[in-house]
Amino acid sequence: MARLQRQRNWLPLPQGEGDFCVMTAGVLRGIADEVRNLARFSRGRPGFLFGLGVVALTIFLAVFGPRLAPYGPEDALPGVANRPPSGDHWMGTDISGMDVFSRVIAAPRIDLMIALVSTAAAFVGGVLLGVISGFFAGERGIWGRLSGAILRGADIFQAFPVFIFALALVGFRGPSIQNVILALAFLNIPFFLRLTRGAVLHVRERPFVDAARCVGGSGLRIAFVHVMPNALTPALTNLSPTIGFSILLASALSFVGAGVPIPTPEWGSMIAIGAPNMMTGQWWTALFPGLALGLTILGYALVGDGFRYYLDPVKRR
Amino acid sequence: MRFWRYAGRRLAFLPVQLLIVSVIVFFLVRLLPGDPSYLLAGPFATVERVDEVRRRLGLDQPLYVQYARYLRSVMRGELGTSWITSQPVLQDIGQRLPATMELILAAMLLSVLVGIPLGVWTAVRKTGIVDRAVFGYEMLAGALPDFWFALIMIFLFFFRLGWAPGPIGQLDLTVSIPPRVTGMYAVDALLAGDEPAFRSAFAHLVLPVMTLTAIYMPLVMKNTRSTMEEMLGSEFVAYARAAGLSRAVQIRYALRNSMPSVVTIVGILFWFLLGGAVLVETVFAWGGLGQYAVQSVVSSDYAPLQAFVLVTAVFTSIVFLLVDLGYFLLDPRIKP
Repeated sequence: MARLQRQRNWLPLPQGEGDFCVMTAGVLRGIADEVRNLARFSRGRPGFLFGLGVVALTIFLAVFGPRLAPYGPEDALPGVANRPPSGDHWMGTDISGMDVFSRVIAAPRIDLMIALVSTAAAFVGGVLLGVISGFFAGERGIWGRLSGAILRGADIFQAFPVFIFALALVGFRGPSIQNVILALAFLNIPFFLRLTRGAVLHVRERPFVDAARCVGGSGLRIAFVHVMPNALTPALTNLSPTIGFSILLASALSFVGAGVPIPTPEWGSMIAIGAPNMMTGQWWTALFPGLALGLTILGYALVGDGFRYYLDPVKRR
Repeated sequence: MRFWRYAGRRLAFLPVQLLIVSVIVFFLVRLLPGDPSYLLAGPFATVERVDEVRRRLGLDQPLYVQYARYLRSVMRGELGTSWITSQPVLQDIGQRLPATMELILAAMLLSVLVGIPLGVWTAVRKTGIVDRAVFGYEMLAGALPDFWFALIMIFLFFFRLGWAPGPIGQLDLTVSIPPRVTGMYAVDALLAGDEPAFRSAFAHLVLPVMTLTAIYMPLVMKNTRSTMEEMLGSEFVAYARAAGLSRAVQIRYALRNSMPSVVTIVGILFWFLLGGAVLVETVFAWGGLGQYAVQSVVSSDYAPLQAFVLVTAVFTSIVFLLVDLGYFLLDPRIKP
């Protein structure tokens, strides 16, 4: 983001009467530059490339997965329960005769949707609260108080272990996709809050903030227009790992029966269906959804890791 | 003297913290959609019955009165009754807590015994392959779902190899439970000198503890390594080197100075393990607190769930307090 910021200054932005063509060309050139930089950066970083591949694949499957599935992801096929992997059923079938492969590639739609929506909500909430709590930290008056209260609140909520709190929230609201999203969004807010607060505490000491104050900007305006865009990097680099972590939490909730209800293709609930089979030797019903889950989380974590270096010009080389 | 002043201040803050925790837990029940008295009275209840339930729950009272009532009953140890086990929740929790603690403490012990030496070793000896392998393992452990890893362990070590007992609780069915002292079967069996019970309890502990350790140990390792690296690169180690002290002494100095943050990580490890234990217990039918919580979620048994959240939050608050005190003892530079 900080990079994009810099490039915006370099772009031939239209002054006064908007010259749309020039602007579009500039934006396109900027994007092309960014892509070229990213390609150069990712060469020789197999982990980052792998992560990008995983992210692309999950997004692709979220859109087309259910349509590409050779069998209906929720169809119990007659007479083929618990079949091992074969030419007809690449990952075998589960106890009720549902094709595991079809379900594995259909699952990203629900898993990714839960993770994306909840992470986006947590990002917005966490960044807004983080800016307020960081910018006004140590000040007098109502904003200073609010800043302290926000931090205290985050502290208290983090006394609850994440999974237990998620379980309780969903337990009391009732297991459904909406409630899983709500719980995950709520739980990730303190994380983004802390990251942003830390960055804001540094940024607000920079001279341009004083300059903005000198020309008469109000506190809130400086906080959100001048400080926030420059304090987004930590939160942005953690977007991808948080998506991965949310997928993990969502599937864990579904695994214990407090998330996505059972026939819906979802990795966690698929592992739950396959769990008893692991003790009797039908390994394929739980192995494949778990592998998909693990690889996805790994991929998103590696992308976050890569971007942290990419956005840091010192470590980039 | 300084320590006691600091401890006193931190201890004084604990009740405030617990009070706020209790407010949050109290409001959890408010999340129930609609009026919980309808839910609790059941689908065939008459209007009078629902009213009676509402009165009994105190839901006809204002919110602060309800909270005061809740707090008073929690103080007396009345956490409600589970409608699945039809026992007081406090009794249920008392029965199950030792099983969970046994699991968590064993995993913590193993993580510390393996993770700290590994962390120190990788910080001191930075060779390409080891460094890469450790990084790969850390990434992988962070990505693998613990509940799935537990199932893989069961498949390999129970079904395929037959080395471990099946995932059916803490003891073989044929073994009698050792006399209760701590409630942790392995410890109790050891105290009673009951060899078959100890053997069985130990065998049942192996897989769940290995699972938790494999997934959560990297946390300790990673943080020990990064702190050690920082300390080894610091000025006091450079000074020790300049003064001609041996590498072993330098490492000892660095290790001593890494201890405060390692203690913090062990506290955070406990926090993680509490959450992880819920899932691992479910897989191994462990019969501990975590499984109890999952059962209450699945069967909409609200009193135990509420109590469970309260108990874990109280536990973490106390552990974090102990960690802060440990940090203070280990780092004399901190001002009370």
